[in-house]
Amino acid sequence: MSSNRDEFDLGSHVGEDQVVGGAPPEREHPTLRTELRGYLIGLGLAALLTAASFWSIDEHVIYGPGIVMALIVFGLAQVGVHLVFFLHLTTSPDNTNNALALAFGVLIVSLVFFGSIWVMFHMNQNMIPARALMQMRGG
Amino acid sequence: MSLLGKLTWQAIPFQEPLPLFSGVAVVIIVVAVVAWVVAKGYVPYLWREWITSVDHKRIGIMYCMLAGVMLLRGFIDAIMMRTQQAMAYNAPGFLPPSHFDQVFSAHGTIMIFFVAMPFVIGLMNVIVPLQLGVRDVAFPTLNSVSFWLTAAGALLVNLSLVVGEFDKMGWLPYPPLSELRYSPGVGVDYYCWALQISGVGTLMTGINFVTTILKLRAPGMHYTRMPMFCWTALASNLLIVAAFPVLTATLAMLLLDRYVGFHFFTNTGGGNSMMFMNLIWAWGHPEVYILVLPAFGIYSEVVSTFSNKPLFGYRSMIYATMAICIISFMVWLHHFFTMGAGADVNAIFGIASMIIAVPTGVKIFNWLFTMYGGTVRFSSPMLWSIGFMVTFAIGGMTGVLLAVPPADFQLHNSVFLVAHFHNVIIGAVLFGVFAGYTYWFPKAFGFVLDERLGKWAFWLWLIGFWVAWGPGYVVGLEGMTRRLQHYDVAAWRPWLVLAEGGVLIILLGIIAQIAQIVVSIRTREQRRDLTGDPWDGRNLEWITSSPPPAFNFAVLPNVTDQEPYWDMKARAREIGQLTRPEPQYQPIHMPRNSPTGFVTAFFAVVTGFALIWHIWWLVLLGLVGAYATFVVFAWRDHDEELIPAEEVARLDRANRAARSAALHHRQLRRETRREPSE
Amino acid sequence: MSAPDTALRAGSDPYHIGHAPSTGVPEYTGHGGGGPSPKRIYVGYGFWIFILSDVVLFSCFFATYTVLIGARDGGPGPQQLFDLHTTALETACLLLSSFTCGLTSLAVARHSLLWSEVTLAITGLLGLTFLGLEAHEFIGLVARGAGPTRSAFLTSFFALVGCHGVHVSAGLLWLGTMMAQFPAKGFKESIRHRYLCFSLFWHALDIIWVGIFTVVYLIGTVTP
Repeated sequence: MSSNRDEFDLGSHVGEDQVVGGAPPEREHPTLRTELRGYLIGLGLAALLTAASFWSIDEHVIYGPGIVMALIVFGLAQVGVHLVFFLHLTTSPDNTNNALALAFGVLIVSLVFFGSIWVMFHMNQNMIPARALMQMRGG
Repeated sequence: MSLLGKLTWQAIPFQEPLPLFSGVAVVIIVVAVVAWVVAKGYVPYLWREWITSVDHKRIGIMYCMLAGVMLLRGFIDAIMMRTQQAMAYNAPGFLPPSHFDQVFSAHGTIMIFFVAMPFVIGLMNVIVPLQLGVRDVAFPTLNSVSFWLTAAGALLVNLSLVVGEFDKMGWLPYPPLSELRYSPGVGVDYYCWALQISGVGTLMTGINFVTTILKLRAPGMHYTRMPMFCWTALASNLLIVAAFPVLTATLAMLLLDRYVGFHFFTNTGGGNSMMFMNLIWAWGHPEVYILVLPAFGIYSEVVSTFSNKPLFGYRSMIYATMAICIISFMVWLHHFFTMGAGADVNAIFGIASMIIAVPTGVKIFNWLFTMYGGTVRFSSPMLWSIGFMVTFAIGGMTGVLLAVPPADFQLHNSVFLVAHFHNVIIGAVLFGVFAGYTYWFPKAFGFVLDERLGKWAFWLWLIGFWVAWGPGYVVGLEGMTRRLQHYDVAAWRPWLVLAEGGVLIILLGIIAQIAQIVVSIRTREQRRDLTGDPWDGRNLEWITSSPPPAFNFAVLPNVTDQEPYWDMKARAREIGQLTRPEPQYQPIHMPRNSPTGFVTAFFAVVTGFALIWHIWWLVLLGLVGAYATFVVFAWRDHDEELIPAEEVARLDRANRAARSAALHHRQLRRETRREPSE
Repeated sequence: MSAPDTALRAGSDPYHIGHAPSTGVPEYTGHGGGGPSPKRIYVGYGFWIFILSDVVLFSCFFATYTVLIGARDGGPGPQQLFDLHTTALETACLLLSSFTCGLTSLAVARHSLLWSEVTLAITGLLGLTFLGLEAHEFIGLVARGAGPTRSAFLTSFFALVGCHGVHVSAGLLWLGTMMAQFPAKGFKESIRHRYLCFSLFWHALDIIWVGIFTVVYLIGTVTP
């Protein structure tokens, strides 16, 4: 380990991490063609999933109560496609920090989103305004 | 519409003597200080070395100074409240209700956002890069922007003292009371915009420190070799990054309700004010841990150093920290058990809240076991830590009591609750930053604080705290609700008078702290820390001189285990000389100073003030100015400057010489001590 | 952790309380001990953290929309208001712009000024079209008496979609600045870092939009 570091940001590059959104992880000189192919595959998959989402509510092709679940699945899949093909997020060891940060973000988002919905659903159920309660009893 | 929006002469409180006089006094003091600085010709120095500085140590010191000044402001509010309640038994007291409401709101807001936060962030700024063994944080200019935005928020809150009014509904403006219909004044707007501006600064600090801690460490510093303070700072900043956007979103919703008639939290149009409680506490609970986790880190450093032992259970400490970091996001409903989410929801959040006590208990035991078998030195940082352990254990237990939903139905909104959170915030956060401040002061300034006055300050604070807030538990159990401007229950009176005595003892403690600084500065030549290691410390911040040079380390330290500095020192003491030969010095690139932070904050204040008073043209001007600042900064070509190798060599050689001399001195002392027995 | 290292540790740290003694062998890979990262890495990482915090911000608006979707105060609901054709067009614009933004990344990596500017311009035009469509939708809604002040549901809708729109506008401002910086400053390191951050931002906005068209428009339309 050389100890004379003249650059403020220069360090050993051992265990260097991948940059999110940087070049795709193929290390051996990615050619324009392979990189372009990655973006095109991403575009195609994303377009396909978008079309599937819109189609599944248009045509009533899916069993009614399952539509919401299908939409959520398509949506999550598309987010995955964007992360992999546009942001080049992979599970390689180089990407551990990026993926961990993403996992933390997903955890927080789910806690805030589903937690709020859960809490508010129960509150709305338990705390029906007196007027509405009276209407319910009266009617 | 007027050119100045809602701003008229009526905004100045001419008819209320108390705010008018205090406002005028503050203005006079500020003007006097500015005049003194200008007259002495310090302006260029301040501009060059401090205001535009992007050095993490300078920024950290400015954060701590901001926190100190705001502590005085918040503490004056505290004295006013205690005095009011001591007087107001069947009497109006000296504060009319509308003023009393502003006082307790301002007290809470200032103490959390402009005392605790800046103090904790300031200490992280000074110490984290030093402990990591690197030369600065990841984004130095952003760091300066963060600080100045925090200062801008503090300025807006204090401006409300003189121009207009402050929020009257507590440190969290619960709707529907905070909606335009019930609070047409500018108080809530002051609150919201001040917090939005400083919140952006805090968020950027979070991003900056997460990146710094995860990406910039000295070679060899594994995750399991990071000092405990860095781990807790990482957890705290992860929480900032995760929680502050929630605050921003929630306040943005309230502002949309107030400014453009949206219906998020209104009584009309289907709005749901409970959504505000839900969201604000989804931020508010993690916020508590944002403050307390770095304090835990400080205690870990202090206890280990002053017990002359490595921290006991280092790994369990990391697990405990990260467990608290995650669980703190799963307990927010315990702040509104009584709002009616129902038994099952309450039970789950209650249990989660109690579970947090487990990793916290792990920490307490780790500190105790660190002390066990060590040679404990009872210096003032250590006293703060021991005082914390006792105080916090009790505060934590009352917290577990409050986490039991049926008990909370009795205790919520009572003074018992207020006593609980003062117990943990004073007993853990404030004692922690005081411990850290005393411990790291010599690192930041190069001389040690006066120990005698420091111990006075500690005892006065500890006793004062218990005299002030012990009675809070009692009157709380006797049914006193919080925020009472007057009351008619005779049984509370003696306790509230006693609490007034407690706050006066704390006042003596603060006076002791001010005296400590004054005395220490005047006698600084006798208390110089020449070696850079005044406490016989264990982590990398003590490897460099006090105060450290701008570049922190002439050569980045190479970390081979968990306490690299301690091992190096032990080896040096064995062989009686420095372990490392003089390195080959190289010139060092450091980030260049930039006024971006100051200018951005200036435009933020202008925009915030204009928004509060509905001066729309000024809003536009402020936003354009901020964007122009951004572009000018983006256009900058030279963002680094070079410190020549000779300068690096000169500074490092001085430190090496001082350390060699100290080693030699120690050797001599040991030999002379050994002689009689041999 | 290699075998001899473990053995050494077990010997001198019998209670495994984490005080590993120095083994003398620097062992860096995978434990984060490789020293400070180069600027490219930590700039990208810092911005990635910012994006995650922005996603948390959006999650609050998503939660509020989901909670308030039924609070219509006698006003119209999603089925009466949303025109999914506009939504599909907006989606197409943003997806394509995300793709062209990726193309710009390729051009920037190859220091091609012409292609960088061309693809950025296309990205910007697609973004502008998106904003135009959104503005058209908003104006139409307000004209029909379904503005944000009508009901809590509409409040949460306008706030969530509008917040995304504000982000896109900020992105366009940034895009314009980048288009000016490439010719003025060339492809030097700091500019490339800046472009990396911009591309992260733009791709992230598209990801948020996936959430919006799924939760707000599609699920909003199928739930009563």
